[in-house]
Amino acid sequence: MNEEELFQQYHETHDVALRNQIVENYLYIAQVIAKKFSGRGVEYDDLVQVASLALMRGVDRFDPARGVRFSTFITPTITGEIKNYFRDHARVIHLPRAVSELRADIRDTDDRLTVELGRKPTAQEIASALGVSEEEVVSGAEAGTVVSLDRPTADGDTTFHELIAAPDDGGIEQMENRDLLNSALEKLREAERTLIRHRFVEGLSQAETAGRMHVSQMCVSRLERKTLAKLRNLLQKEAAE
Amino acid sequence: MKELFALELPLGNGQMTTVRLATGGVAASFGLGLDDSEDLKLCVTESLLLLLHAGSGRARVEFSEDGAQLFVAVLGAGETTFGGGMPEDDISEALLSALAEDALVERKDAGIVRVSFRFSK
Repeated sequence: MNEEELFQQYHETHDVALRNQIVENYLYIAQVIAKKFSGRGVEYDDLVQVASLALMRGVDRFDPARGVRFSTFITPTITGEIKNYFRDHARVIHLPRAVSELRADIRDTDDRLTVELGRKPTAQEIASALGVSEEEVVSGAEAGTVVSLDRPTADGDTTFHELIAAPDDGGIEQMENRDLLNSALEKLREAERTLIRHRFVEGLSQAETAGRMHVSQMCVSRLERKTLAKLRNLLQKEAAE
Repeated sequence: MKELFALELPLGNGQMTTVRLATGGVAASFGLGLDDSEDLKLCVTESLLLLLHAGSGRARVEFSEDGAQLFVAVLGAGETTFGGGMPEDDISEALLSALAEDALVERKDAGIVRVSFRFSK
């Protein structure tokens, strides 16, 4: 049965088994598009899930009589759903986390591979060891020149943050995000706040954080995962209220 | 129309990181936000993949702007052995239409020779 016949039959019968077959046939589109949007702060598996749901909804809405191929019809639908998901779920937590965490991980991996290989590793080798793209490693290393806005300037009396005027557009949104984040951080336990400060404000590696907190790196890793999940939930609740 | 940047490269997956980084720089200098910058990178790499699948050996990426809009043209160059394309090319073309404005895929002798689109501030 070709594409048109398959959809025609489904629209006539609304047979669930047939719909499942169509979804399975085109699941690769959801996976391909999810992969193209990976690396922007949302897990690939989450993106596949969002894309798959959009695919399932699209099967019901697709009309083969319009003469458009299903892949042409469904790609913008899936893309739109993924972009909506980014807008609703990823923005607040992703950016500060990605830069500081990746920078620390690159530094750790660079040190480790230098010892293992007996020479400085390439960006590609670091990317492979971290399971990220080469582009992320290069831009993450570039971000190493970033300084904290709270760091005092040369005169010692002001911070960089105070010297930079707030932009006209987006300023309100940034303030709202900061308020949301501050409010969520207040609800964390002391140890969780300490971990967030070491990892994402001071940019320390997990090993360095473990040293400061007098616990194992494994413990930091577990606590970090739990704390970020907790923070994400808190932020979603705060944003919804 | 001011030309911002042009990049000529041999087509192959190994070049995509360089292209994405250069495109990110162009997006930043033009003033695109982070989301649009990621979308722009995606559109440029999809265009290059279309040309690669069509058999182009080299490509030229041209960025120009008029103050409010960033125009991108990705052209096949060098030896071309027009291939039949790949099944996922449909997805690439639909993605370009979904993410960019005025996405246009130009063909000659059944092969893709030029892809163009624009982004607005």
